[in-house]
Order: sequence, then structure tokens, then C-alpha cells
Amino acid sequence: MNRLNPTVPADQYLADSNVLFYLNDAVIQLLEHKEEYNQFGVIRYFAEYFSSVKNSNHVLFREFNYIQATPHNRASFIRVFWKCYRQIGKSGDLLSMLEYRSLLQLLCPDFPVVLVQSAARIAVMDDTIDCLMSFSDFLYAFQLQFYYQEFLDCVLVIYQDLLAGKSPNTVIVPTSTSIEQIPSVSTEENNKEERPQDGVEPSTLVQCIDALCDRSKHSHPPRSCMREILNQTDRISYYSFLMSLAKQEAINQTIGVLPSKAELLIDPEMDQELDKL
Amino acid sequence: MADKEKRRSGVNPPGMPAGKATKSDSDREFLSQAGVGDLLRGAILKMVEARSDDPIGFLADHFCNLASVTAAGSGGCGDEEQVNTGTVSAGAQEQQRLNRALWHLRLAHHSQRSAFSNNVRVAYDLLNLTGPQTCAGEFSEGPDGPCTDSPAGGGGVRGGLYTQTLQCLCSEGGVPASTSAPLLRRLHCHDHEAVPYDVFRHGVLTCAVFSDYIRQAQRLYAEVCCPGEGTASRALCLAVLGTLKEALETSQGSDTNYCANANTKVNSCPEANVKAIRYLEASAKISPCKLAQAMAGAQTQGPGGNMDAKEFENAAAELFITRVKVVS
Repeated sequence: MNRLNPTVPADQYLADSNVLFYLNDAVIQLLEHKEEYNQFGVIRYFAEYFSSVKNSNHVLFREFNYIQATPHNRASFIRVFWKCYRQIGKSGDLLSMLEYRSLLQLLCPDFPVVLVQSAARIAVMDDTIDCLMSFSDFLYAFQLQFYYQEFLDCVLVIYQDLLAGKSPNTVIVPTSTSIEQIPSVSTEENNKEERPQDGVEPSTLVQCIDALCDRSKHSHPPRSCMREILNQTDRISYYSFLMSLAKQEAINQTIGVLPSKAELLIDPEMDQELDKL
Repeated sequence: MADKEKRRSGVNPPGMPAGKATKSDSDREFLSQAGVGDLLRGAILKMVEARSDDPIGFLADHFCNLASVTAAGSGGCGDEEQVNTGTVSAGAQEQQRLNRALWHLRLAHHSQRSAFSNNVRVAYDLLNLTGPQTCAGEFSEGPDGPCTDSPAGGGGVRGGLYTQTLQCLCSEGGVPASTSAPLLRRLHCHDHEAVPYDVFRHGVLTCAVFSDYIRQAQRLYAEVCCPGEGTASRALCLAVLGTLKEALETSQGSDTNYCANANTKVNSCPEANVKAIRYLEASAKISPCKLAQAMAGAQTQGPGGNMDAKEFENAAAELFITRVKVVS
């Protein structure tokens, strides 16, 4: 969606930008407070609403459905979470999954625990959710999980299918020819050699993920990042794959709301305030 | 209005008491009284027309401008140009005009020639206004000789305001200040100078093209650099920069058209054809296969080491800026 392609049809342009969603929400919020506004105030109201959306200030204390609704909202929420709690990272405290969930609920009262659990699993690659996590580990895992939620769910399904020995050819891909050309050798290898804990053959996973990216309408991490991780090992499990993705700086930059790990805890204004005390 | 109500009623929670009917009635009444339907319809139409890269930002600016216009106009006079100079300080007034001029300039992309030209004209007229009391003193000689035709108002845009406009255009276009500084040095005018329309147009157009160019360079770098490392091999970068340079050189013929007297609105046919051919050649030079050729060549030989994003951006910027005529 850009000026270099002026032939994007109007409704697609509107859909891509999620503008109707924001207009809808703006009107609902306006009606809930309509006693406060007169005719001139209404224009000012829309100006403030969209300015706050533009500046990513709009997600604070909103309900989960709103926060989850658009990629921009998700990214803004991740950024807000970072800004509010980066001092924890500075103090070096390790927190449990439930403690992170409480922090999230301070910002969004109905934030679901399931999502936090999934994020924690990525961060520690372990089924014991009682593990303590550092702020930066949790934050990047949370970012990946929350921003690409639907895509990761699809990948999990694919992964479990591969583990169960199902041939990748059972994935229905109408247009992609690369899947249809998978040599039968690799599927036989899958059936013979793997055990559930060991993970799957990365090259097969790459092809399945490629096909998923082609047909999926959900946003996904850049393919080059995913391929790079999968090309580096002989065997890969779902959570080790996700953990490597979470740590990738390129994905962090694609989402574009968090600084790199080295700069995560820099907060000059707060430092100044604390110095005064 | 109807589709908005459809959306809204979809959200009303089920199981609300019978008072729900009156609630949505009073909601509807409120919305029609406040003119929300027309307001949003107008906003969406403008947005689709502009096809901005940042639709949310566009809407935010649109409503902010509307709010400031209605605030200014609610003093009694509806004409947005005749702001009451007595109540608002001159500096704030000027800032307001600058904001509105920038808004107009953002509406159409520079490739949409006539729309963009119209917007430049409107922006120029907005900025060209001076208060009635300083009119007499503003007729200084512009940098290119006597002033061109101007509407009732000053004899040209104040140099400082013109430079500010260019700075805002560059920074809004995503160009960091350090990258645009050399370009602005070539284009800027002194505060005491009055900028005529052709210089204004040239500067605005150059900045718009430059912003696009830098964004494109950034995208090229992102393609070329290794994910995860954040840097790219120097050889690859130099190859990409080489193709950029070739493309710019090929379109050199059309550049001189920018720099030449923009007062001539006549576009003779042979001239337009030559320009079109040059554009085609230039775009062919940055086409994916040409780029791939250059990159393949670079990978086999060339200097070692890495180039980071900033260096690449500065180098790309330099290629562009050396071609910009200095405003003297």
C-alpha cells in the first residue's frame, strides 16, 4: 500500500489500513461520552482520537479485543508494556509467568493468561511454567507471540502434523508447485526415523512454512529470517524455532517498536527522575 | 450514515433492557446533530483520494486541521485566510499557515503532476500572505530577479518560512536531518529574501523526490543487508550504489527540466517523449535483474568489510544531491 502503486482499489486500501475499524471504535467511544461534546468538540475529539492512534497512545487500559484487533494496536501495546516496565529489567529482577501476567493486566484488565503462557514457553523452552524469566527474555518472546499469534498457531499445527508422520503433501496448496515436488524420500525418512521429542526435519518445515506464507492472510515474520534459522540445524523443535525467532533482531526491526536488546533498558528520563531522589 | 449505524448496532450487547431502543435513538440524534456522518464521509473521501502511505497519520492531520480552522473561523469570519491578527500572535499564525500549507503539500504524490502542482500553488498562496500592515515592506527583490505574479499579499514567501517548509517536508518524508542537511544547504533561502513561486516549487518538488529516493535507498539496503547482523557487505552496497548512480545519470536530462524555468507550462511533445524515454531507461537500470547482475558481479570481487545503513544512506543521498542546482 503506497503511492507507487496507485491502482490499489479503494476498498482494499481502506481494509489494509484498518481505518474503518478505528472510525467505528471512535464513534462508539464518542457515543459513550456524548454528553460531554458539542458540535465543535466532536471534531476536536476525532483529532485527538486519531492523534493518539498515530502516536500509539491509544491502547492503554483498553479491552483485549481492541488491543488485539489490528497489527498496529498489537505493536503499540508491546511498546507500552516495554515503556511502563523497563525499570524491572534494570533492576535485574526475574519474574514468573503469573507475575508478568499481572503486569499485563494492569495495562489491559482482561488480558488472557493463555497468551502469557505461550509467551513464557517460548522464553524458557520448557513446559514448567514456574520458571523465572528476565524482562528482556520475556518481552521479546511476548512480542513474537502476540504480534504473530495466528501465524504461530498455524505453524504449530503443521509441526504437529509433521511429528505425527503425516506427509507434507496432505497440506492443501492449490497454487504452489514446490510442495508437490517434494521427493518421496524425505517423507519416508520422516516416518522412519523421528521420535516426537526430537523435532522435525528443518527442510520439510521450511517448505511447509513457505506454503503457509503464500496462502495465509495473516502477517508473518520475514521468510528470510525463518529460513536462516531452519537452515542452521539438522533437527528443530517448535519451541526452539520460536525461541530463535524471538531473538532475531531483524524481526524486531520489522515490527519496529522495540529497540535492540542492548538498548532495551535505556531510559534517560526515568534515570533523571531517580537521580533527583 | 446508514452503514455506520449498522456497524454500531452490531456492538450493542444483547440482552439490554427495553431502554435500548431509546438509547440508540438518542445516539442517532446526537450523531446527526453533530454532523458526524458528513464529517466522516468527507474524511474518508479525502483519505482515499490522497492514498497516503500513512492513512492514520493523514486522518489525524485532517481532523487537527479542521479543528484549528473551525476554531479560527468561529470568531465570526468564515474565510480561513483572514485570521484575526489581533487575537493570535504572529508567530502562532505563521505556524498555523505552515501546518496548513504542509497539509496541502502532502495530499498528492509528486508523480500526480497536475494535482501536485495545484497543491503547491495553494500552499504557496497560503504562505505568501503577509499581514496587511507589512505589505509595503515586503516587495524586496527575489533571488532570481523581480517577483513573479503573486496574489494580493506579499511579494514572495519569506525565506525562513520557505526553508522551514522544506525541512518539514524532508523530515515528514522519513529523511533524518543529517541526511537532508546537505540538500537543504543547496536549496535554502535567507530569511530576508522573498521566494518567488518557481523557486518555491522547485524546492518543494526536489524535497518530495528526495524523500522518496531516500526511502527507496533504505529499502534497497534492507534487501541487501544480512538479516540479524544489521550490516551489509561493502561490495554489495557499492554495487547497489553504482546502479543508483547510473539510474540518476540516465535521467539527468529530465533533471535539467526540474531546474529550468518552471514558469514555462508548455510541454512540447518531443520534449515529453525524451523525458519519458529517459525515465524508462532509468527505471530499467534499477530493475531487479540489473540489480541482481550488479550484485552477482560484486560478490565475486570487490572490497571487503561491511557498510552500515547510515553510511549507505549518506552515500545514496550524496549521489542525488550533487545533481541539485544550488539556489543562488
